Amino acid sequence: MTNPETRTPVLTVRDLSKSFTLHAIGRSVESLRSVSFTLYAGEHLALAGASGAGKSSLLRCITRNYLPDAGQVVFHDIDETGRADIDLTALDDRSLARLRGRRIGYVSQFLKAPPRQGPLRLVTNAAVRRGLALDEAREAAARSLLRLGIDERLWDVDCSVLSGGERQRVNLAAGTVSPPRLLLLDEPVSALDPANRALALEVIEDLHRQDVTVLAIYHDMNIIRRVANRVLLMQDGVIAADGRPDEVLRAGHAVLEEAVA
Amino acid sequence: MSIIETAAPAHDDGGLQLLTSLVPEQPNDGRPVVMDEQAKREVRRATLSGICIPGYIVPFGSREMPVARGWGSGGLQVTLAIGGPSDRVKVIDQGDEEGVNAVNLRRLIVGTLGSRPTADTEEATIVQSRHRVPEEWMGADATLVLQVPQSEPLRVVEKSVYECKRRHAEADYAKMWVHLYERLALTGVMGSGAGHPVLVHGRYLMAPSPIPRWDIPRLHQSDHLTILSHGRDKKIYAVPPYTDVEPLSFEDVPFEVEYTPGVRCSKCGSDESFMVETKTGDWICSDVQWCLKVRAGVADLERHDRLVPRRYYPDPSRRVRARERMAVVPGSRPAAPAGITAPGAEWSLKVEGLGKVYPGRRGSSEVVAASDVSFDVAPGEALGVIGESGSGKSTVMKVIIGDELDAVGSIRVGAVDSGRTNLLSLGGPERRRLRTNIMSVVYQDPALGLDLGISAGGNIADALIAAGWRSYHQIRRRAAELLDRVEVPLSRMDDVVGQFSGGMRQRVQIAKALATDPQVLLLDEPTTGLDASVAAGVLDLLGELLEERELAVVVVSHDFSVIDALTDRAIVMKEGRVVEAGLTDQLFADPHHPYTQQLVAAARS
Repeated sequence: MTNPETRTPVLTVRDLSKSFTLHAIGRSVESLRSVSFTLYAGEHLALAGASGAGKSSLLRCITRNYLPDAGQVVFHDIDETGRADIDLTALDDRSLARLRGRRIGYVSQFLKAPPRQGPLRLVTNAAVRRGLALDEAREAAARSLLRLGIDERLWDVDCSVLSGGERQRVNLAAGTVSPPRLLLLDEPVSALDPANRALALEVIEDLHRQDVTVLAIYHDMNIIRRVANRVLLMQDGVIAADGRPDEVLRAGHAVLEEAVA
Repeated sequence: MSIIETAAPAHDDGGLQLLTSLVPEQPNDGRPVVMDEQAKREVRRATLSGICIPGYIVPFGSREMPVARGWGSGGLQVTLAIGGPSDRVKVIDQGDEEGVNAVNLRRLIVGTLGSRPTADTEEATIVQSRHRVPEEWMGADATLVLQVPQSEPLRVVEKSVYECKRRHAEADYAKMWVHLYERLALTGVMGSGAGHPVLVHGRYLMAPSPIPRWDIPRLHQSDHLTILSHGRDKKIYAVPPYTDVEPLSFEDVPFEVEYTPGVRCSKCGSDESFMVETKTGDWICSDVQWCLKVRAGVADLERHDRLVPRRYYPDPSRRVRARERMAVVPGSRPAAPAGITAPGAEWSLKVEGLGKVYPGRRGSSEVVAASDVSFDVAPGEALGVIGESGSGKSTVMKVIIGDELDAVGSIRVGAVDSGRTNLLSLGGPERRRLRTNIMSVVYQDPALGLDLGISAGGNIADALIAAGWRSYHQIRRRAAELLDRVEVPLSRMDDVVGQFSGGMRQRVQIAKALATDPQVLLLDEPTTGLDASVAAGVLDLLGELLEERELAVVVVSHDFSVIDALTDRAIVMKEGRVVEAGLTDQLFADPHHPYTQQLVAAARS
């Protein structure tokens, strides 16, 4: 890893906190407590930790699927028009909606597809949103689906009739086709059998070569070792460890034991 | 000699003389007073108003006449009010001098006015007629008084008297063209029998009494004055000399008169007059006096020739395509235009501080239906408004579209005056005009957005015609494309929407709302009331349509799944106020306000 001063930051998270006030039961639940880290260009950062440690909350606070209580999430965007540091927590809804899917991708655990929309159209639309021309997008979508082992016969069927594994791969195809500068993945291979998992991991590994910065949640430590070059270990809403996978995963944290168990 | 017996020989030579002799000369003294001077003045005043505003329907204080209403009491009052002893009066019923109606009215008129009756159109100064304009030329000194059985031309398409008046005031005659569209789609023939609607002086729509289409061009730029009067309705309207009278028609499907090439009058041999078929299958001139003159060789054929409406003769080759079932060529869909924003702004719809209070009735307190509601919507963006019944979301919708005019705050649209004009400062007619091409709405109840009594194609034609489309074939092509897009089978294009299922009606309503490519689209509970599977289909369709277009959309619903499927951003309303706003997925995943949490919990269960 190069010297931090010369690296280009893509995402800076500062003192991010999130709690949920449940009015119906009159209780508050803390999910993130003052989380800070910087994600640099070219990094593939894996979030590890037990269920409820705050991994998904962190990812959702970054996309603002959850509204953070305090702290900052700054996206350092670079495009043809130049460089912009965008505070995602303060950005107006409309601008954020436009950034989503275009400059920042988010692949959730579950595919959310409009009914009646086939995989090819879904993935094509995702590529169009990221600026590809329609015919170009269609070709890219086809390549992406083929690569993830989605049979051509399934391209035009309603997504709702696909199996869980197929849906997850379609979702990954939509997220990684003509990938954005920053990609957030929430357990992208959890529902896949070993053969398909290998295909998916190839696609995910390939993101590194496409200069995509990735922040992802994986439950499988072997996957983290294979695809990530940095790990954040989370526990009770705070970062318990931050470092290279071999360091963090070898350290034998109690946190990690808990997570793997 | 009874009238019945004389009816047949009227066509014989010498009948002209007989006709004239039928009506005895009345002595000038001792005439019955049918109308007092006061009543005459009232009718003259209304007549003058009618002449001043060609085609405009003027009410007057009608009197009881010694004839049954429906037997020409309207025309009678006009003739008696404007006529005098020096007039030469001709009275006809469908071109015939000898009908019971004509004979009775003539006796009454001549007896009352002390004027001389005549059968000769050329000589007459007043011609009172039912269902015909005399075949022969009428000079600048002549007045044609037409008895009218239906004074309101819009009555066939609009039952509400108030709405008829509003449409006249706003020159909003789209419904009449839709009526013609429906007939054309159904029969393939332009024209609606007798009394085809006409536009007078380019302004007022007029029912020219049930005269044949043949006679309608005779009212256009005529030398004579025409006064039309309806006794039962107490209405007078007029066409002054040299006034434009244009039959309503489509650019590409012209108005046609009744004319069959080769058909000749079996009496006079004429083939260019309005003819009626006899029981024996012969054709004869409808205007008996004209026919007699032709036969006597005294008719001014040259002058009549100039009145023959040849430019409206039927052209069967133009009819063929009117009935054709439409087929849509794949990929022929017109591209949706780009959205319009106010200069320097991102929005194409901006609502600020919107408030609406309904006054309490009979001492109950007033109801604040909406208070301080603000949001804006950009082209290509959909905003959700979610809340329970009574939360004020529908009120906001009504105020924006203009169903409610009285509200505080401001509503601006980028496409109107570059967003500078507050729509709430505009009047009802201006707001209605915005709905023809700037903004449109899809209501929960298709009956509010559609006319269930006309066809699917006719409903879309309604929107297009209101926006100024006048080509039948273009309207039909566009309607077919839209119906195809919303997945309504084209075989049902000409079926009455009232026979459609709820889901199909909603699809037609969506097609109608998108027909003129508005900048702003409001969806009010678009899938509520439909079966779950049907609702899903409509929702998908809406999702696709919004994706294709650069529309600014507001979706009002109590249903989170509808808001989730269609919008990126949403506001949550409760008791007329916005309690929470945010990204739609965030409101669903991380609701803050207790009310939103309740809504989400209800949606999840």
